[in-house]
Amino acid sequence: MRRPGEDVPMIEFFQQLSNGLAVGGIYALVALGYTMVYGVLKLINFAHGELFTLGAYLGMTLLLSFGLSGILGPLPAVLIIFAMITGLVGLSGFVLERAAYRPLRQSNRLAAVVSALGASIFLQNAIMLFYGPNYQVYPEETRVTITLSVLGLDIPLMRILLFLASVLLMLAMYLFIHKTKTGTAIRAVATDQGAARLMGIDVNRIISLVFMIGPGLGGAAGMLLGLYYGQIRYDMGTLYGLKAFTAAIIGGIGNIPGAMLGGILLGVAEAMGAAYVAPAWKDAFAFLVLIVILIFRPTGLLGERVADKI
Amino acid sequence: MKKIFLICLGLICLLNSTALGAAVKIGLMAPLTGAYASEGADMRRIVELLAEEVNKAGGINGAKVEIVVQDDGSDARTAALAAQRLSTSGVCAVIGTYGSAVTEASQNIYHRNGIVQIATGSTSIRLSEKGYERFFRTCPRDDEQGVVAVDTLHKMGHRQVAILHDSTAYAVGLADEIREGLRKGGRTNLVFYNALQPNERDYSAVLTRLKNTNPEVIFFTGYYPEAAMLRRQMRDMGWNVPMLGGDATNNTDLVKIGGAAAVEGFYFISPPMPADLDSQSAKDFIKSYQDKYKTMPSSIWSVIAGDAFKVLVAAISSVGTEPEKIAVYLHKYLEDFDGLTGKISFDDKGDRVGDLYRLYRVGKQGEFVLQPR
Amino acid sequence: MIVRRLPKPAGIMGLGALFILMLALPRILGPYWTNLLNDMGIYAILGLSLNIILGHCGLFHMGHAAFYAVGAYVTAILSTRFAVPILWTLPLSGLMSGVFALVVARPIIHLRGDYLLVVTIGIVEIVRIALVNNIFGLTGGSNGLLIINPISIFGFQVFSPAHFYYLIWSIGAVTILLFYLLQNSRFGRALNYIKQDELAAEGCGVNTSHYKLASFVLGAVWAGMIGTIFAAKIETVSPQSFSYSESVLLFAIVILGGAGSIPGVLLGAFLITGLPEIFRELQSYRLLFFGAAMVAMMIFRPQGLIPPGRRFYKVRPYLGRFPCGIAARSGARRGISLSASPGYPAGTDAGADAGKPARGPGDMIEEQA
Repeated sequence: MRRPGEDVPMIEFFQQLSNGLAVGGIYALVALGYTMVYGVLKLINFAHGELFTLGAYLGMTLLLSFGLSGILGPLPAVLIIFAMITGLVGLSGFVLERAAYRPLRQSNRLAAVVSALGASIFLQNAIMLFYGPNYQVYPEETRVTITLSVLGLDIPLMRILLFLASVLLMLAMYLFIHKTKTGTAIRAVATDQGAARLMGIDVNRIISLVFMIGPGLGGAAGMLLGLYYGQIRYDMGTLYGLKAFTAAIIGGIGNIPGAMLGGILLGVAEAMGAAYVAPAWKDAFAFLVLIVILIFRPTGLLGERVADKI
Repeated sequence: MKKIFLICLGLICLLNSTALGAAVKIGLMAPLTGAYASEGADMRRIVELLAEEVNKAGGINGAKVEIVVQDDGSDARTAALAAQRLSTSGVCAVIGTYGSAVTEASQNIYHRNGIVQIATGSTSIRLSEKGYERFFRTCPRDDEQGVVAVDTLHKMGHRQVAILHDSTAYAVGLADEIREGLRKGGRTNLVFYNALQPNERDYSAVLTRLKNTNPEVIFFTGYYPEAAMLRRQMRDMGWNVPMLGGDATNNTDLVKIGGAAAVEGFYFISPPMPADLDSQSAKDFIKSYQDKYKTMPSSIWSVIAGDAFKVLVAAISSVGTEPEKIAVYLHKYLEDFDGLTGKISFDDKGDRVGDLYRLYRVGKQGEFVLQPR
Repeated sequence: MIVRRLPKPAGIMGLGALFILMLALPRILGPYWTNLLNDMGIYAILGLSLNIILGHCGLFHMGHAAFYAVGAYVTAILSTRFAVPILWTLPLSGLMSGVFALVVARPIIHLRGDYLLVVTIGIVEIVRIALVNNIFGLTGGSNGLLIINPISIFGFQVFSPAHFYYLIWSIGAVTILLFYLLQNSRFGRALNYIKQDELAAEGCGVNTSHYKLASFVLGAVWAGMIGTIFAAKIETVSPQSFSYSESVLLFAIVILGGAGSIPGVLLGAFLITGLPEIFRELQSYRLLFFGAAMVAMMIFRPQGLIPPGRRFYKVRPYLGRFPCGIAARSGARRGISLSASPGYPAGTDAGADAGKPARGPGDMIEEQA
């Protein structure tokens, strides 16, 4: 299959780069929602991974049950369901914030962290009890299985779509936060809730909104993952949540382009570590990268250098 | 007249309650939560179904069977507590559990409390090397599988072999057995021996690496989800090379996860599938399982838990509920018992005797086709 | 300087009754509940050791299982390879774990809040992966190591739940006593100061990174020693016992119980290890209820179930000794003490000063003394 004279190590390197970018794209997507919520509330939403799983499962249910793909053809159906998932998971995020976080907003931050951990255990087991502990699969016809061969690299089309989707969503979020009025209000609440309230911003509404956008993005990421890999499981949120959190921290938590950068860096680091050092140590490389970056840049790559309280 | 009637009624109640009090209690320690939750759900269904059947037929020597279920949480600490709990709930024997490390954490507790334990999915060699005389297993051991695996690889005639495991206790054990066997055979060249990280979604990095070592055949010793994803991602890469798996890939979800097109042509060695069980009792059992739950058991391991129950019933009906006697009976007197998964006898260590392994190939529709020996 | 309220007769009686009750418990409860009490004891001691780092010093540390793992593995390796009696490995486990903490915490100690949190998670994951991959060929991979020899104390073999109960809870009692003394010592006060306001502490001459590191090492030493006991109890030391979720549970124990409060952490350990067992009858639903209970308890008591009491300092000896300060305060007379409020100030890491509870001058006095 391989023609003589071909530069094998070089091709493998680029193939691994492409592998890493795909995984990184997913991390970045999950990290986007994480970082949104954190940026505004300074709350590590440990249940974000479970909302991501929820999105993946709801996406599967909708794809299977409504028979939409039969009427509309797979592509429009997938797009419509995307919108529905974003809405539904956003709604769950809204409920979650009301139930588990709002009562704790005035208390110390770690109380909210433990509440988030409890919520994450609850949601994960709820999903397991509802959908069963087995792997679930996405219908085969909704998956894009075409693989492009570019310059000796095998690149599945789905990978390109996935990467594009995460870049687009990141851009959209960035513009939303920085160019719209609501976005300005969100930034105001993130900077100083008291002052924002004095400026006539309904802080509770903004926080609810953020808790719909963040989880909504997470849900959409879950469905993208389902479409990309084709199979999902109730406990996958833990790992993706953790990786996304790591990615958000690497990029500087609260920073939207940072989440993207962190996610991609993490994905590439994992792929390279797995390929050239030892595959079984893959996650260890991810965390090693995190530690090394934080040693040299204690607030992440793009994180603001928070001035010490003086 | 009325008085007599009442007295009779009272007596019946009394008899009933004594009969209930004398119920034979059998413990089931299964992973109802945690990583192996899907296996646990099936184990429970099967053992409870079998117990129901025994009870319908009048119980064991007239005594009803009662199954006491405890969750081992797929982890060692919870299992130790579950074992402690079962030990004090009056069971004479315990069926379970699936994971080797989980079983290991409970073994000494049952041992000290003098309770018979029959493991159902724990294939680690170490478990039966401790000299616990009341420990049994109805599943085979890892070394047995290694021999069959090496044999199969030799028969297939490929020279460049890659072995991939997932760092779990079971997979490393099997991978080492195969590596050793191949080295002794001297007919093959091991081009790749490494691990992937389980519970991931993306294996493209390790696959790309693997592809560049040009293996003619890959043996993956891990579990079915990873095997299925590997196949799927190999197909996405446009790479087609024969691949074999160990018995942990034997699960109908293999096809569900990987998709029939990608998994077709995958070989695995395993004890026979639930559907290929050829004895009449097994066929009857599978039928009643399907009637009740509308699906097939998703793996053989839960059926093996059913076998554990069956040998216990056989033992208890001949020697009673004394754990010592049950153990002696299982060691010495149980010969070629007609279990669901074939003939069952135990050796001195409590391991199941007999070759259970078959070679399977995944067909076009994703069906598991038993290969002729 | 610290007012230790003298134990009143009723208190002594109460303690005595508690002691007798604790002695009798294994007989009353039977092996299952005794075993659960043992788990609670191990988690309580681990929680107390984490409490030094998280509760007193206020460092967001979610990787305590890593230190615990080092201790357990040191014991397992020494016991299986070199047949060292288990109790002899106890100090060595603590030492190794402490050294390990020193090495890994040194470069990351300056990280703030959530950044530290994720790095500690990273450390626990790296440790677990290293153990799974049989690092240095010592850890036995994911099979783990099997400890054959039971603990023996002067020839008496410890193996039944009741034996472990007495062993674990004696260690627990010692731990509680030591940590009680520690929390009221100069060291403990310095840690609390760092938690309340790191900058002010530094300004008052507390070497913050030195103290932070010391709290890490102390917590790790203790966790390592408990690792020994855990190894002896569970008999199979395998990586899955030291996962990230184990660290999360420990974290929850401290925060749920009340960061910085010894009775709080004990209660937290009882609930976090006890609730899943109480919910056992719910079978596969038990973790669902456990998660809901965690959320509910946090909402019900955001400061923790038993938050640390206010700290009291006897200021009488200082009256008039400083040109400005306490002498000028009208309230500071005989019998009236000054206090500092406990708990985390809201939004410490955000850099926002709003909502920070006013500091009492109590700590200042200690630092100047």
